[in-house]
Amino acid sequence: MRRMAVPHSLRGVLRVGVPLLLMVLLGGCLIPPEPETKESQAVFTLYNVIFAMAVVVFLAVEGMIVWSIFRYRRKDDRLPHQLHGNTLVEIIWTVIPTVIVLTIFAGSMITLGTVEARSPHPAVTIEVDGFQWNWTFRYGTTDNDPSNDYSITGTPAKPAVMGLPVGEPVHLILKSNDVIHSFFVPHFLIKRDVVPFPDPNHHNELEFTVTNPGTYAGQCAEFCGTAHAQMVFQIQAMSRSDYDTWLKDQISGAAKPSATAAPNAQVVKISADKLKFSTDRLEVPAGVPFVIEFENKEAVQHNIAITDEGGKELFRGDIIQGPQTVKYNVPALDAGEYTFLCDVHPTIMFGTVVAK
Amino acid sequence: MATTTLSPRAEQYQRSWVLDWLTTVDHKKIGIMYIVNSFLFFFAAGILALAIRSELAVPGLQFMDETTYNEAFTMHGTIMIFLFIVPVLAGFGNYIVPLMIGAPDMAFPRINALSFWLLPLGGILIFSGYLFGGAAAEGWTGYTPLSGPTYAPGAGTDLWIIGLITVGTASILGAINFIATIFKMRAPGMTLFRMPIFVWTILVTATLILLATPVLTAGLIALFIDRNYGGSFFDPAAGGNPILWQHIFWFFGHPEVYIVILPAMGVVSEILPVFSRKPLFGYRAFVYATIGIGLLSFSVWAHHMFTTGVVFLPFFAFMTAMIGVPTGVKMFNWLATMWRGSISLTTPMLFAIGFVAMFLIGGISGVMAAAAPVDFHLQDTYFIVAHLHYVFFGGSVFGVFAAAYFWFPKMTGRRLNERLGKVHFWIHFIGFNLTFFPMHSLGITGMPRRIADYDPTNTGWIILNSLETVGAFLIAISIFPFLINVIATLINGERVGDDPWEANTLEWATSSPPPPHNFDRLPPVRSERPVFDLRHRHDAEVLTAEGLTAEGGH
Repeated sequence: MRRMAVPHSLRGVLRVGVPLLLMVLLGGCLIPPEPETKESQAVFTLYNVIFAMAVVVFLAVEGMIVWSIFRYRRKDDRLPHQLHGNTLVEIIWTVIPTVIVLTIFAGSMITLGTVEARSPHPAVTIEVDGFQWNWTFRYGTTDNDPSNDYSITGTPAKPAVMGLPVGEPVHLILKSNDVIHSFFVPHFLIKRDVVPFPDPNHHNELEFTVTNPGTYAGQCAEFCGTAHAQMVFQIQAMSRSDYDTWLKDQISGAAKPSATAAPNAQVVKISADKLKFSTDRLEVPAGVPFVIEFENKEAVQHNIAITDEGGKELFRGDIIQGPQTVKYNVPALDAGEYTFLCDVHPTIMFGTVVAK
Repeated sequence: MATTTLSPRAEQYQRSWVLDWLTTVDHKKIGIMYIVNSFLFFFAAGILALAIRSELAVPGLQFMDETTYNEAFTMHGTIMIFLFIVPVLAGFGNYIVPLMIGAPDMAFPRINALSFWLLPLGGILIFSGYLFGGAAAEGWTGYTPLSGPTYAPGAGTDLWIIGLITVGTASILGAINFIATIFKMRAPGMTLFRMPIFVWTILVTATLILLATPVLTAGLIALFIDRNYGGSFFDPAAGGNPILWQHIFWFFGHPEVYIVILPAMGVVSEILPVFSRKPLFGYRAFVYATIGIGLLSFSVWAHHMFTTGVVFLPFFAFMTAMIGVPTGVKMFNWLATMWRGSISLTTPMLFAIGFVAMFLIGGISGVMAAAAPVDFHLQDTYFIVAHLHYVFFGGSVFGVFAAAYFWFPKMTGRRLNERLGKVHFWIHFIGFNLTFFPMHSLGITGMPRRIADYDPTNTGWIILNSLETVGAFLIAISIFPFLINVIATLINGERVGDDPWEANTLEWATSSPPPPHNFDRLPPVRSERPVFDLRHRHDAEVLTAEGLTAEGGH
């Protein structure tokens, strides 16, 4: 095969350009996501300064290694000069890393002040409940006005959405009743563990001001058991007016009264405890509405939903946190077999509904 | 006294080689058993790693359910750390340290045998969870309350606890043995500052084990009480504190990182001078840096807990930054050792240089994560997985292979095939970087660790994860040339005499393999390189440089 004729200048450009391009690509993969909060912009800057120092150290040391391997390869059997050390040099290279790490430490402490700053009157305070294995976000629970309360619990099929106004400080209270979780939003460059502290009034908190409207993915970052990977959520940042409208819609949507049951409807009882239903089989009358009396015995969120064989949802009861009992009014089902499950724990809490 | 003559019926007491190995108290045989046993666990935990990487190659659950996945990474981490890296380095220590200091055996040979035999027992206990309703699945860190009775009711976690206590006891016994041996059994002339660096690192490591492991053992016992007898040390519902477990675990766990890396640093500090034909640059500084790391390692544990919101950040961030200094000094010392040397790229040298090059990356990513606000982003993501593998694998495991190639001729009299060794190194090196380098990027862009499944819409993550899986299988493939090499060399390897590498330290002053009592006669020890001095005893220029006069008697 004839060698392709490449002009000398082009080859020179390629020779320098390709490794340079590779390095830029590689380096580009090591830059955090675009920061979307005021606090994360400070972290982003700190990260980039440290990363730049890291690149310099990396290139210098790896360069020295490669240089030594090529330059000082054994050529003959002569013994090289037996140099045991040099105090001055050793002092210098003790000082160099000391200066580097102290600079990083100083930068960290300054940035820490920005990240941990708390405003006296945050615009929105949201209670974040992490539980095995999802999230509940509660709005308006810190004042004594129940009319503005709103809460949403995520399910694996439908992750919880946290609506937020941009440009205003948002305060999160992180609560857990079971194991340790961690509230992590990559675009905010922050996570904070959601810890079940022994003191019920002690909670971790997090505060930030989102700068740009948008939807940002979040996820539990502390391993918390079987379905840890499913603990995802979304943050939806919007302008203040959009936020007010959004919240109002959510509150009115959530408060939708459920249909009242016929007074003589049949009642089926079921309870949940230790992530298990009391039965895996419910027998219900076919063709007429009925009532499921559901007792949630533990401080974990559960509900009951009914799906047909194809997985289509026929009924979805509100998610409740125990200990609590609710009555679900279920519309009529045709005779046949259906699946009931807990939306929050669909992989481990389910059973069969037989309508006849 | 005539009692030293052997009974004429001595051959009647000769036992089969099996019984001989099972009952031996010879530090060399025990050392080899440590190494072989550790490699068996390495292969088991490596297969688990392949299972993890196979599952993560693409999003969705293909090969296993979430529980199986969680068991796999828990067992992988636990076995790799407690039954591979720590014991394999202890195994090399067991074989080499008495030889390096000119001793006939370890100080307590029978305790030595006990501390070995506890290891397979502990490892089997940890794995046996699979037979009793599922292995422990809370991660190797076993965070409470997840590992408590409510959320992990299975027997697997109890077996994990008992197994770890067993292995920890083995470590503590071994540490006492090393400390006694090093302080009490050195050859005449072998002052502390003439000890090989490997012995120094084993000494500091043993001290760390002695101080840190009992803390973990206490924590494990408390957890066992919580789980089985209704204790509430870590149960928040009863006033216990789950964060307390993290303090206990990491008070052990961070020195543990140095327990795992210091002996590998020691190995590299023996190998670089031999194949650069220069003394280790700044021997004393290196010793002080080792001691400094040992001391500082007890004051940095809470940097694993920055995101818990309840640790005093400035102190732990400061100490964590400071521990980078002695590590940096070592890095410069290694570079200066190769500088203007006469470098021969044998397989042990390749692995030693690989250690320096890869551990550097682990060190840099460690300093990056030491900046608390940056750690808020990086903690519990794949960046940390990358960091810890660059330290444990790029560091310690490269050190282990360097040691294996370097001391194989000492243990067997035969040198491993160099060509196969280089094939092993390069596949291993490429596979390692392909597996773990992209993890930095995954973590920085927000992929949490310990998840069985990830966002199927994130193309970048899918590409990087697939690459990593390819890399993991490359590492697995690279083990085959190594295994073939070991077996072929044992059967029909090149016999290379007592000192094939022209090495420096006392283990090369005896035959290869050494006799049961190690030394027939010891050369004089006047520097940290007695065998070098012996080889160049007529070379006046070298002796003057060493600060020694002409050969002295003994």
